[in-house]
Amino acid sequence: MDIGSAMNAMRDVAGLPAHPIIFQILMIFTWIFHIAFVHIALGAAGVAIYGYHNRHKNPHWERLSLAMIKVAKVSVSLLIVLGVAPLLFTQVIYDPQWYASNVLSAAWAIGFIFTLIIAYCLWFIFYYFNHGVLRPNLIGYAWIALALFCLDGLIMHTLSYQAILPGEWMNWYAPDGVLDMSGSKLHAIQWIRYLFIISLSAPIIGLFLIAYAQYFAIRDDFAPEYRQFAKDLGQTLTTVGFGIAAILFLGWQFNHSSATNLVLHPLGWLIFIALIGMVFAAQRFATKLHGYLPLVGGLGVLTLLAIWREIIRIEYLRPFGYFITEYSVNVDLPSIMLFFATLIGLGGTVGGFYLTLLYQAGQTQGHYTATKLVDKLGTFAIAILTLWIITFFTYGIVIWLANYFIV
Amino acid sequence: MDVVGMYPTWYVPNIGTAWVMGIIGVIHVVASHTAVGAAFLFAFLETKAYQENAPQLLNFIKKYGMFLLVFSYIIGSITGPGIWYAISVASPRGVGGLIHNFVWIWAAEWVFFTVEVIGVYALIYLLGKIDAKTHLKLTWSFALASWGTMLLIVGILSFMLWPGNENWYQTGSTNDAFFNLNFFAHLGIRTGSMLVIATLVGLMVASTEKELALKASVVKFLAPIGLGGGFFAVMMFLYYIRTIPDNSVEMLHAHLLPVYEYAMIAVFIAATLYLSFAWWQPKYLSTPLAIGMFLFISIFGVWPEERIRESMRKPYVVGQYVYSNQIISRDVPGKNITGEVDKIAKKGLLALHPFIPQRLRVITDNNRLEVGKLLATIACSNCHALEPGAPLRNIPDKLHRATDADMIAAFLTGALRHGAQPYMPRIDLPEAEIQAIAHYLAAVNQGQNVKRLIVEQRAAAIKMQVAN
Repeated sequence: MDIGSAMNAMRDVAGLPAHPIIFQILMIFTWIFHIAFVHIALGAAGVAIYGYHNRHKNPHWERLSLAMIKVAKVSVSLLIVLGVAPLLFTQVIYDPQWYASNVLSAAWAIGFIFTLIIAYCLWFIFYYFNHGVLRPNLIGYAWIALALFCLDGLIMHTLSYQAILPGEWMNWYAPDGVLDMSGSKLHAIQWIRYLFIISLSAPIIGLFLIAYAQYFAIRDDFAPEYRQFAKDLGQTLTTVGFGIAAILFLGWQFNHSSATNLVLHPLGWLIFIALIGMVFAAQRFATKLHGYLPLVGGLGVLTLLAIWREIIRIEYLRPFGYFITEYSVNVDLPSIMLFFATLIGLGGTVGGFYLTLLYQAGQTQGHYTATKLVDKLGTFAIAILTLWIITFFTYGIVIWLANYFIV
Repeated sequence: MDVVGMYPTWYVPNIGTAWVMGIIGVIHVVASHTAVGAAFLFAFLETKAYQENAPQLLNFIKKYGMFLLVFSYIIGSITGPGIWYAISVASPRGVGGLIHNFVWIWAAEWVFFTVEVIGVYALIYLLGKIDAKTHLKLTWSFALASWGTMLLIVGILSFMLWPGNENWYQTGSTNDAFFNLNFFAHLGIRTGSMLVIATLVGLMVASTEKELALKASVVKFLAPIGLGGGFFAVMMFLYYIRTIPDNSVEMLHAHLLPVYEYAMIAVFIAATLYLSFAWWQPKYLSTPLAIGMFLFISIFGVWPEERIRESMRKPYVVGQYVYSNQIISRDVPGKNITGEVDKIAKKGLLALHPFIPQRLRVITDNNRLEVGKLLATIACSNCHALEPGAPLRNIPDKLHRATDADMIAAFLTGALRHGAQPYMPRIDLPEAEIQAIAHYLAAVNQGQNVKRLIVEQRAAAIKMQVAN
């Protein structure tokens, strides 16, 4: 049976509630933040472990390690929650590919959940017992946690990669015509792609460290020597990290299926140039620029990567006749309005309140008293939430009554 | 090309994918209900601390918050997507149906969820480090945002059971799907339950408190909230079962209540006695008792609840238009959806399913057993294990270990073909496919080594092919 026709039949029969391009843009956009926190989490975990092993050589390592343990812990929470959105939007427009790939490696998809729970708990134990000072004999927790985080990354990579190889699905599901419904194998791993994406953890945490040094410049309890130490480390990681990533990217660039012609695609080469550009930028400008600016550059690289992933997917699926623009559309305006109103209204005010509060409180040594802006934002956040809930119930009750008692 | 959009099948022997989903679901329900409930308990406690100038209560919040962070936000935030993964591999068309109906609702829930995760860190780490008024605003906004996630997910979960009337099938509107008949009842159950579970977690933390006055004050504050929440949840449950469809009522009375009724009543009585005792004699609340009761109530209370909720949907997984076995059961004009049962009845799964190996598309003497097994797995394994004695409603036991293929075929061509069993899907297949399933099930019930027989028959078929 032709897999291209099958994929089109496997699309959800309900169609899409908005134009597919909207979901595509949201999928790309939200993945940028997800992968940024993946890199921060892995990079912070790496620095924390390295710092732990070197804590006797230099006291700054101990302090930085303690900070990075916390950063990794919070980042894993954020990467999970931020990963929900791209996962959701992927399932909207690439449901046949995503579900087929998951079913074919189902045991691993489920294993992902449990290994992630174990990894996070181990990291939390590492964090919990390393308050204020690094204690001996705990590093095993961190190493196992980091190894499991990397394994989870590999599982996610495999599920994504298998999804764009529909021509192989039947061979994996029924090799030589004999069915295997166990879902117990990871069928296709593109190691160079996986290594490239994981390698970005080093330069991204490098950029984070440069911003970290800048953020705490205002606080007296962060001595200039310590901040300089963090910044220097950040610069080294950024320079070396982007350099290694550029080499790996080159390997990936020549590893695409020859049928796709992706090797000649300008965006791929633009990413390569951007990676090299970041190496030189980190070397030359990091000391002159504001500490947050390099982070913006890193976000730019990740944005290009997010778009590149989507172009790769499009090109791999093109020969099978799968195009998201051919998905049937049944526009559902009320729920579209609900999302965007919630994103802008609630995400903007409540999220804005939390982030501003955290930002300002973090820069304050000792007790923090809210500024007028934060105070107003807090009041506004509660007001918006209350209004949202009242509107939700009023609207819902009207529909509910109309459907069950009037119509 | 004539094809139905079915996916490959993941088969988990004995427990099926249903239990995999159930196990992750129970962990998630306990964790997420704790998270939302605790958010409100935080807000109440902190308001009390603020109004009564009782900063010692803030220490309890800090302690409780740390536990909450580890338990709810680590476990809950991972098992949330975990349920997604589980239903993706167990019922890909089911979850696809939900996502394509509710993507914007889910996306809105994600906004709340993101805010919530940032909020929980802010709440715990800024406690005592910022002014009390601002922290109180933070805590209340966190509680409201947490409840927001519940408001949004409950509409989707209750639609899984059914929309409640014909409107949605005609309009296809998310409004009609989301604010379905049992939405408010379901929301009530979950809101009450979240207060109970959060109270149980709160008592666990309070039981470790060494300062007796603080311990008593916290327990006396929490216990009545848990009791009230439990009472409200039970009332809403009684209302809820008035809002469910006929097939669910049938399933409830025929299969579920006989198994779970006494366990549920026992959990309710035990929880009420425990919370009343804690309220009355808070100083005697010990940590082993608190942990034991938490485990008892969350396992023996939530597992039956999740099993009942999942089983009551049978034979559907979504909105009474997607069968558990992933086949679209009916037309939904509002979404231009056409039912697939008749098409499959005419042409057969072997011809229409995209993931059938070519050598099994035509039934022969040398592959009948294998085809029968394959078809039984596709059509039945979402709800039934295929192994005799297995815990997931295993088919051999359901068929009373019948060894006569004709008798099994008679059931398949009778009640099942005509959809006469209210909690079973209408499975109407061509005669040859029915015979293959019956042949396979009879062989299993006869205690034959089906795996070995299939291997032998496959070898024989290859031999014949080579000879020809």
